[in-house]
Amino acid sequence: MNARVAAFLAGFLALGLPAFAQGVDLGSLFNTVKQAVMPADEQQEEAIGRDAAATLLGASKPIGNAAVQDYVNKVGLWVALQSDRPQLTWRFAVVDSDDIDAFAAPAGYVFITRGLLLHMHNEAELAGVLGHEISHVVLKHHLNALQKAARMELVSQGAQYEANQQGYNSDLDQQLMDKVSNAARNLYSTGLDKGDELAADRAGVVLAARAGYDPYGLLAVLQTLESVDPKSGKMQLLLATHPSPADRIAALSAAMAAGHMDKYGSQAEGKERFEAVMKSLVAAAAKPAAKK
Amino acid sequence: MRRWLGLSAVMLLVLGAVHAAAGSDASTIVDSNLNSGPYSDASVVVAVPNGSAVSVIERQGGWYHVRLASGQDGWLPMTSIRYNGGSSAAAGGTNWSSLFESGRSGAGGATASTGVRGLNTGDIANAVPDPAAVNELDKWAAKPPEARQFAGQLPAKATSADYLPEVKP
Repeated sequence: MNARVAAFLAGFLALGLPAFAQGVDLGSLFNTVKQAVMPADEQQEEAIGRDAAATLLGASKPIGNAAVQDYVNKVGLWVALQSDRPQLTWRFAVVDSDDIDAFAAPAGYVFITRGLLLHMHNEAELAGVLGHEISHVVLKHHLNALQKAARMELVSQGAQYEANQQGYNSDLDQQLMDKVSNAARNLYSTGLDKGDELAADRAGVVLAARAGYDPYGLLAVLQTLESVDPKSGKMQLLLATHPSPADRIAALSAAMAAGHMDKYGSQAEGKERFEAVMKSLVAAAAKPAAKK
Repeated sequence: MRRWLGLSAVMLLVLGAVHAAAGSDASTIVDSNLNSGPYSDASVVVAVPNGSAVSVIERQGGWYHVRLASGQDGWLPMTSIRYNGGSSAAAGGTNWSSLFESGRSGAGGATASTGVRGLNTGDIANAVPDPAAVNELDKWAAKPPEARQFAGQLPAKATSADYLPEVKP
């Protein structure tokens, strides 16, 4: 494969379509790429994030309970404001599945299933789980994985692009986004590296602590998940894409002990407020006909 | 008479609460000391060998308030126990999942076979992107002042905390 074509494709992924659409000299782009070394700007992150989020919402829609969605957005944004990327447009949603899982997509999209929410007991537990997902966004775990996968797929088709150099035009943008959708379907059904999950656990409890919550909420959720029967099928996707709850508990508790997180242990739990929201969720379940 | 009825109702509520707490059963997974308080320097009530059955009463930070089969109560580090299978009402809390499922399946408590929505690897692998659903998210998005005000009501106060380095268990 031609190195310049590879560099061009890499540059396209790094810099996005606008530069390309103006008709870019491959040699100068090659130099630009060398300088840029692939940092994704936030516009491109937003485009990739929207695509990944659309893929996730294609599998499971947000629930229609506005009280629950408002609550999760307020708690989530408060936790995200304590992160290193408070300026992102953070969007949270509870999605309509009884299975237990949560997802993050680049640029600030965070989804948790109703099944996972129903296995929590207070706002500190919710803050810990949202902190884990927020940390994936802050640490760009999915962004890096999706860019790498889409790039590899495009570059693997380099021979075809080389043969059609005259054909470079805006439909390459569509081809790129097709690659991102494919990469998202693959990434969210197979999972990140185990190390990324453990890093998000560690960062998630720190964000919960900074937000004024009892930071042991995430550990408590992991202990609850450890007691859910794997044969119930409720954790098929979670277990296929994450280290086991037991491994996560061992790694997280070791890091929390070494980091003296016990000094934050008496921070807010938010049990009453959480329970009021859960009661509205349970009450709505009893009258499904009222739902849209 | 009316007073006795009221008292009986209170007793029933209390018994119900105790029953709920006793339902979150767990076992120790390491040899532990039952402490008199949720601190590592609290006095030791009794040594608890690995594999002991405990009932969780509440959690406070990284500690569980538990009752032993002997009736003694005290505090254990939270990672020294594991919940028994099926006891998803952790730490004496409400099992919202089971309440939701029984609500959905109706007063008869029949197994809900309709309305249960799974989400497995195949659902993700075959997902058809829904960009319109992404646009819809904006209607629930919170603004920073709203989030700050909401946190202040709890109150959850922002504080500093350093990131945690990786530590091999």
